[in-house]
This record gives sequence, C-alpha cells and structure tokens, in this order.
Amino acid sequence: MRRSFIAAAVAVAALATLSAAAQGFDWRKHDGQTVTLLLNNHPWSQAMKDMTAEFTAKTGIRARIEIFNEEQFRARLTTLMQGRSTEVDGFMTLASREGAVFSRAGWYADLAPMIADKAATAPDFNYEDFGAGLRDASTIGGQVVSLPINQEGPLFYWRRDLFEKCKIAEPRALEDIPAAAAALKACDASQGVWAARGLRGAIPYSMSGFVYNLGGSYATPDGKPGLCQPATVRGIDMYASLLKDYGPPGALNHTFTQVIELLGQGRVAMTHESSNEFANIMRFPGRATDLGVLVLPPGPATGNSNPGVVGGGRASSANSRNKPAAWTFLQWATSPEVQTKLVQAGVAPPRASVFTGPAFNAWAAEQPVRRAWADALIEIGRTGTGIYQSPTDRIPEARDIIGNAVQQVVLGRASARDAACAADAELAKLQ
Amino acid sequence: MRRGGATSFRWMVAPALVFAAAMIVLPFLYAGWLSLQETMIGMPSRFAGFGNYARLARDAEFWNGLRLTLLLYLLSLGLQLVAGTWLGLLLARADAARGLVRTVLVSPFMLPPVVVGMMAIVILDPGLGVANYLLGQIGVAPRLFLADPDTVILTVALVDTWQWTPFVALIVLGGYLSLPQELFEAAEIDGAGGWRRFWHVTLPLLAPTLVTAAVLRSVDLLRFFDVIYITTSGGPGNASTTLNILAYRRGFEFFEFGYAAAIMVTLSAMVFGTVLAFARLRRSVAW
Repeated sequence: MRRSFIAAAVAVAALATLSAAAQGFDWRKHDGQTVTLLLNNHPWSQAMKDMTAEFTAKTGIRARIEIFNEEQFRARLTTLMQGRSTEVDGFMTLASREGAVFSRAGWYADLAPMIADKAATAPDFNYEDFGAGLRDASTIGGQVVSLPINQEGPLFYWRRDLFEKCKIAEPRALEDIPAAAAALKACDASQGVWAARGLRGAIPYSMSGFVYNLGGSYATPDGKPGLCQPATVRGIDMYASLLKDYGPPGALNHTFTQVIELLGQGRVAMTHESSNEFANIMRFPGRATDLGVLVLPPGPATGNSNPGVVGGGRASSANSRNKPAAWTFLQWATSPEVQTKLVQAGVAPPRASVFTGPAFNAWAAEQPVRRAWADALIEIGRTGTGIYQSPTDRIPEARDIIGNAVQQVVLGRASARDAACAADAELAKLQ
Repeated sequence: MRRGGATSFRWMVAPALVFAAAMIVLPFLYAGWLSLQETMIGMPSRFAGFGNYARLARDAEFWNGLRLTLLLYLLSLGLQLVAGTWLGLLLARADAARGLVRTVLVSPFMLPPVVVGMMAIVILDPGLGVANYLLGQIGVAPRLFLADPDTVILTVALVDTWQWTPFVALIVLGGYLSLPQELFEAAEIDGAGGWRRFWHVTLPLLAPTLVTAAVLRSVDLLRFFDVIYITTSGGPGNASTTLNILAYRRGFEFFEFGYAAAIMVTLSAMVFGTVLAFARLRRSVAW
C-alpha cells in the first residue's frame, strides 16, 4: 500500500515536472512558421543570411531575409510600415536616429513583455548582459523597441608605416591630425593623406568627435541649436579643412564605401570611419600589419574625448502576425552563442559576456590591430555619445542641415562660422 | 441597328478603362489628396488645404530644384535631339554591318539605370576613376565631374545623353526611312547641297518624328531620378537636387509625405503641360 502510494507520488511529481517543462521555453515552439526580416546592408545582416540554416535547424522556423543598401532599405521600410503591411516581421533600426519618430508612429512592437515571458524567452537570454547604455538607447517611452545587435562608432585609422617613414609621431591630440596631414603631404606629395565622409547626411557621424573633443556641442545650454558656438565652429572648421586641404578629389560625394576603398587600397594615410568597416578594411592586403586603430584623440586644450557610438538594433514590427516567431529569431540572433560567431565577421558584440569572453579575446589576440580595434570599441562604449545633431525629433533632417553647412565650408562658399550660424537658423525650425 | 451595334461593343473598352483608373487615376487622385494634408510619420494627418503649395512657393529648395530640373531637362533633351538626329542620319547611310551597329546602339538604353549610375561612379570618380586617368594621358588637368557643383548637372546630362542618344537615333532612323525619297532626289536635282538639303528638306520632314522623340524623352527626363540618386544623391550641396530628388528626400528621408506629394503633383503638372505643348507642336509641324 505504502509502496503504491510512493509510486503514485513519484508519478505525480514526474508529471508535474513534465508539465512545468512544457510550459517553459521551447526553441521549436514555432516550428514550420516563416519570418520575414528587412535588413540594411551591414556585416551583421550578411552574417545573418549566412547563418539562417543554423537558425532553421534549431527552431524549425524559416527566415526570409531581405537585404538592401541603406537608402533602398529605408525607402522600402517606410513604404511598408506606413502602409501597415504585415509583410515584414522584423527590421533593423537605429533608435538614436529614427527611434522617436518610429515609436510615435507605433511601428515598433514592445519587446519588454516578451523578455519577461519565461515561456517565450530562453532562460539564459539575460537581457542585462547588453551594455546599460545600449539598453537605454533602445528603450523609448518605457518600451523596449529593439535589441542591440552590435556596437559601433567612428574610429581613427592611420597608416603606421607611412607615419614611421615620414618620422611623424602617432597623433596623441586632435590638433596632431592636421599637423600630421601637413607633414605627410610635405613628405610624399604623391601619397593621399586624409579621407572622411563628405556626403551631406553622412557627415555628422564622423564629424561629431571633432566637435565634442574641441569642447563644442550641437546644443546651447538652454537646448537651442548650438553650431554657432565658438568651440563647435572650431570642430566644424577642422573637419572641413581636413577634407578641403587634404581630402581626396570628389570627397563631397563620399560615404563610408569610398572612404574604406581609399584606405584599403592604401591611397590615404588617415581616416575617421566606422568600426563596423574593420573587417572590410582587413580584407585589403597589407592593412592588417600596417594600420593603427585609435579612438579619435582628445582635444589638447579641453582633454575632452567624446567619441561617437551607436548600437544598431533589430526591432519587431508592430504589424507582424508572427511576433512570437520573430522574437525567437531575435533572441537567437542576439544570443551569446551567435554573437561569438559574429565576431569573426567583424561585428562588435553588444553583450558584455561576449566582449570580455575567451573566444573574443582569443580572436583579438591573434593580431595587434584587432586588439587595438577591440580596445577602442571598449573605450567608445564607455565614453561615447550617440548625439550627432541639435535637439529635435527630426534627426535625419537635422543631420542633413549640419552636413550641408560643412559642405559649404569645404566648397569655400562660406566660412565655418557663417555656415554654422546659418545652419542654426534652419535647425531652429525643426524644434 | 448600327447605333445599337456600336453601343453593344462599348463595354469591351471597360477593362482598359478600369485598368487605367486603378493604375493611373486613383494613385494620382490619392497623391493629390495627400498633397492637401499635413502628414508626417507619428503625427495625426491634418487637412492643410493648399498650405503645402503655399510652402512650395516660399521654399528656396523648391525653386532651386525647379531650376535644376529644367536645366537638366533642356540640356539633355537638346543634346539628345541633336546627337540622335546626326547619328540616325548617319545610320541611314551606313550599309555595312547595319544590323550589328543597330544592336550595339540598342545596348546602352537596355541597361538598368542602376548599372549606368554605378558605371558613372566608377568611371568619373575624380580619384579612382578612369576618366581622369585618360585625360591625364593627353595632358588635360583632372576634373571633379560629379563632385563639382558647377559641372554636376552637365555631367549627369552627358551620362543620360550617352544612354539615350541611340534611342533617339533609332526613332530618327525609322522616321527618315519612311520619308518619300523622291523629295530628296528632287532637292538634289534642284542643286540643294548637303547642309541646305538637311535644313530645308530633311529637318522639316523629320519634324513630326523629332517631336515624338522629344515627347518620349521629355516624360523620362522630367521624372529623371535613379542615375542622379545613385551618383550624387542630390549633391554636392544641393547642386543636383532636382524636384524628384527633393520629393524623395522629403518623403522617404524626412517623412513629410504631404509636402513630398505636393512637389510630385507640381512636377506631374509640368510633365502633362509639356506633353500637351508638344502635342500641339506636333500638329503644327505635321505635313
């Protein structure tokens, strides 16, 4: 009797355990479904496309990934989301750029309830593993609008071999860069010196470090547009002068693609370009051994070092009919296991555990330039800012106005001060 | 019976009318309605009447875009009509490998605009492109081409001319071959030399053909977008921000759909106006 009672109790306990497990997380819960993802052309996106088979093998969910160049990506996303299309289940987003507008439009699905749902989220997901700054940047109005997929920012790339050949010291302060440019030009007139983004809307991303490090800001203390402030004007002037005096011909049509090509081919000695492009640069012969990577040096007078930093994110569409399956993809794509693999594709992991983990450190230790890149990323993650424009919700438009002001200086059509003050008047209309 | 028969067949055009309404009239009406709204992502739409059009009148970027659109249009159309006529008449006299030459001529306008744009970027890049290398070989100083605000529109016009001149040439060739050849023989007997014969006989006879080519190219040129967007994105500065580029940026980059629609409705009105003007011109040059 007693034996049968124990057997019954064990059976009940086993059933209870099974039931609890059934209610817990199951990677194959949405087996057979398909999710459609709209992605910007980016090392992360390409890596995701290459790894979809792994995702399908693990979950049974098919991932249809559409990758477009940035302009086409934004146009398609806007068209689909404005039309409340259910075609897209998830998309890439830069919350620091478009988060406020997209959130107000109701395009983002709030991920917070899914993160909190134990049945929908793997027990080892650990949202707190993402850097606090990145989590804050992807939380708008209390809603988690995206999960960080990488960490990136502009870094200072320089050719150590050319500096050595011309006996120029490694730049320690921001003012050392124009001085080094002049010395390089004097040393070898046939060698290109500097490249940076000159395309209007792309300029603020790579220019902001110059503005901040020289003590400038895009806003006045009372929150008005502040390009016309003396320190900000100095930053604009230095960036524009480098492009004008030492930049490649046609720099005003250049964005990261041309800049990376010029640096990779060895046609320029210095640039301030995205950390994301590190893997692409390393594909060019010789660059792994002759390139140095640094956070943009601080302003000597101010000692300021406020480099730019942004975390790309992946959001779920509020209009998706497959939100649970899309969330399964998202947590797989941002899992420590996948992020460790993405490091090989040059994607800087936003998870602290991966950034400080043995796999990442082993990879970085293989080449000094990788270690330098990783250290620079850790630094910008700690001290960087994602603000590249004066206060407004209309961020793309504001960056366009700032870029236009810089172009006027490069073209010699206005002084830095005049262009900056005129831009302030335009920027004030966006507030 | 006849009248009834005619009536009984009218329904057969209904599918075409429905198709035209669904694909042309409704989108245009929607764009017109959108242009009367103040619409931005994340904000409730508000009826603005003609507010967006009033804003156009005050917007320096709109006037700059209109100026650039017209400049690009006139430059490209002029170049293509002149070069296309010359090439078409040259082809009419070419006997050798006529089929091969025509096939080669067709190839530029068979290329997708994105390919043409990418080719232009690669060839005309001041630092990396082959154009400056070739100019350097003959002692000509390097040019900025698409990166120079003073030459960007001319450069884009030349890229478009390279692509579409053969199209005009083939139209001219077709028109020329259909002309009564005895008129040319009579002119020759009357002593009209090459230039006089071209000016007083060939050109007037070809006028309806040229107007047709101009109409086809006008519609394309006034809504010219892709190659400009790929090569310059409207820059440097605003030097190639035509109305199409401006509307795209306002709509898809800055999310001002109502204002973008107002720009596009205005541009559409220009296209319709141009087509109507050419239709009238065609009647006046018909023979």
